[in-house]
Formats: sequence, structure tokens, C-alpha cells
Amino acid sequence: MEPQVNPQENKQVVPTVGEQTRPDVEVTVEYLPAAKPFHREYPADETVGAIRTDAMAFFGVSDHRDRDTHQFFLEFRGQRLTNMTETLHQLLGPHHRGANFNLVEQITPGSAV
Amino acid sequence: MTVRGLQETGQRVRESGALWLGERATTAWITAVVFSHGNGVEEGPSRWKVSPEVFGTVTRWGKPRGLCLLAVVHTHLHGIPARLSRADRQYSVQIPDMLAVVIGEGGAELDARRWGWYLYDKHDYRQLLARELHERFVPENKERLTVRRADADGVWELTK
Repeated sequence: MEPQVNPQENKQVVPTVGEQTRPDVEVTVEYLPAAKPFHREYPADETVGAIRTDAMAFFGVSDHRDRDTHQFFLEFRGQRLTNMTETLHQLLGPHHRGANFNLVEQITPGSAV
Repeated sequence: MTVRGLQETGQRVRESGALWLGERATTAWITAVVFSHGNGVEEGPSRWKVSPEVFGTVTRWGKPRGLCLLAVVHTHLHGIPARLSRADRQYSVQIPDMLAVVIGEGGAELDARRWGWYLYDKHDYRQLLARELHERFVPENKERLTVRRADADGVWELTK
């Protein structure tokens, strides 16, 4: 009796044409009042919005409205990031393995409804 | 150091302010005073407001040095009580254990016991009692205190 071969064992994952493997990106987010930074590794196709959300949860802050509107932004190289759908790959280019962001708060007066 | 710098910046005609930085710990020492003045800082007779860009420059300068924001200090001019106004509460950093300090007389009030001392606790700033101040704060002149000025363009050495 011939041994049974599990087809799954011989299966190899082959990138499709045009697909490139993008290494993960070591992300650090600093927040001035916090004692420790937020560190996490993300795939390069992760969005700025997702990182902002994770960092805000880590630091225990949230967007909110009282009489004013409080909103948190990621800042990168001195620029506030407003496109939450932008990916790390789009932001950093293909050769970056790490990114350092700052979390800053914008308070807009009288924006509450 | 703080009151001298705030008096020079505000000239008693507009509010001025500074950030106290240090290592966040059970016993935290203030090791850096950063006066926020210039581009990205609104300074008026009843308003001192720091933009996110200024906090960004201070973050880039301070974090590699192991510094955290411990307190936001600002002045109120003559005739205005050294108490946190509604706007002060709204615009200040709302993080547990953050300290907010108001110095009256445009920064000329030298008696720290007459300053307004507030701690962010349970979703609001509460004024610290005299007993708490006495128990929790120890004034000490640190010889190695770092002093800088910050605006939206960067953090700078003081020129005078």
C-alpha cells in the first residue's frame, strides 16, 4: 500500500505576479505627558488611522466633545497627519523599517453641537 | 527661575506660560522648564494657549532626554485670581496626575502658596489643599535645571 501524501504538506505559498513582500514596520508613538512610549510592529499596509487608534488606547485618551472639540493627531516629522487611510508604506516609502510619531491634541473652541 | 522667565515674557500685560518637564515617577523632579513663547503660542491679556505644533516640538526635544510633561504653568494678570478658569480647564492637558499651576500678578507673585495649584483627577482639575501642597511638594533649587524656550519651530536656548 502506497503511503498517503497529504497534499497540504507539499503546498507552497508563491507570491502572485507583481506582489512584493513588505517587511513589518517598528512603530513608536510618543506622547509628552506619558512616562513610556507606545511600541508595536505593524505590517506596511496598516493605516495611520489604525495606529492612531491603538496609540490613543494605550495612552488612555480619546477624541471627545465638551464645550469644545478635543481631537488627537499623529505627527510625523513635524507634520500633522490628517489622512487616516494613508498606509505606512505610502507614508514612509519602501525602505523604512521604523517610524516615530508624536501624539498631539488639538482643541477647537466652541465646536460642540 | 519660572517666575523670572514668565515676567520677562509677559511683561505684566499678557499672560505667559511654561511647561515643567521631568521624569514621571513616584517622586518626580522637575528638571526642565520650557517657556512657550512665539510662533504657535497665543499670548493675550486673558489668554495663553499653546498649539499642538509646540507640544510636538517639545515632545521631539524632550522624549530623547527622558522627559515627560509634568505640569503646565501660566500667569494671570493683576486683578485676576490665580485660579483655573473654565477656559484653562478646557485647554489644559487632561491626563491623570497632570499638574496645572496659575501664578498671579503676571508672574510677580513670588509666594508659591498663593499660586493656584491643581491636579487632574477623576476627569477634572481639582485645587490642591494647602495641606496637600505641604505634603506633596518640596521646593528645591536644582543646579542642573535645564531652561529652554519653545515655539512651533523648535526648542531653543534662552538668549538671556
